[in-house]
Amino acid sequence: MFASLWYLLGRRLVGFSLLWWLLTNGSIDSWPAGLIMVPLAVLLSLTLRPPVPWRISLPAALAFIPFFLQQSIRGGIDVAGRAFSTPLPLDPALLEHPLSLPRGTARIFLLNTISLLPGTLSADLVEDRLVVHCLDTDALAADDLRRLEDRVAALFMLPIHRRRQ
Amino acid sequence: MDPRDILSIVFLLAAAPFFLAGTIGLLRFPDVFCRLHALTKADNLGLGLIVIALALQADTWLQSARLLLIWLLVMLSGATVAHLIARTALRAGRKPWSGRS
Repeated sequence: MFASLWYLLGRRLVGFSLLWWLLTNGSIDSWPAGLIMVPLAVLLSLTLRPPVPWRISLPAALAFIPFFLQQSIRGGIDVAGRAFSTPLPLDPALLEHPLSLPRGTARIFLLNTISLLPGTLSADLVEDRLVVHCLDTDALAADDLRRLEDRVAALFMLPIHRRRQ
Repeated sequence: MDPRDILSIVFLLAAAPFFLAGTIGLLRFPDVFCRLHALTKADNLGLGLIVIALALQADTWLQSARLLLIWLLVMLSGATVAHLIARTALRAGRKPWSGRS
């Protein structure tokens, strides 16, 4: 238990150090300030979000990146096309999606990904039900959401137990 | 002209319409939810294209990595803020606009 806690703390320390190194362009002069700022950032992150274990599958991540880029491009083109059209091609609706992913990092990752994909926006999370705002009722994306959830589950190496509705 | 410069110009020119679309969507779309769609998705793609254009001009790979990092952080904060605004609006009883009324 303690060993894993130290591991998780160490992970944040390494992560924020890397961030500092990148943001300061790898300059040595910045490290006196970094030695104060990095632990402060770790402390702040711990008060905002206690460390919970999570891991990522590298092959799934490599498969996820092109998928995500392609979907982001589609999402941007889709909404830009709507913004420039007259009359506005909008037929919005709310869609409820029962989440199968457990609480935690993977779920937050899913929420954020949904908001960047074409036509969908994570609007609320009530218990285990995600409320999604869709720009277009015709393209109501229940199947897409399930497929996306499967992808995120594979990314975080989580089993998915889908309840029958 | 260096082919890298030409490529950068192409990406910058491709980025501009998406920022314009984000702002036009913000002004034209009927409610807060639709406006969030325009802001998060169009600007995210626009910023991604600008990051590619600038990364092509970077002197070191560290600079390119920093640009990529900025894009990732903006995406993360944009998606998070969009969710928080939508959630606050829903919980305040704001009904999404529907053209079918």
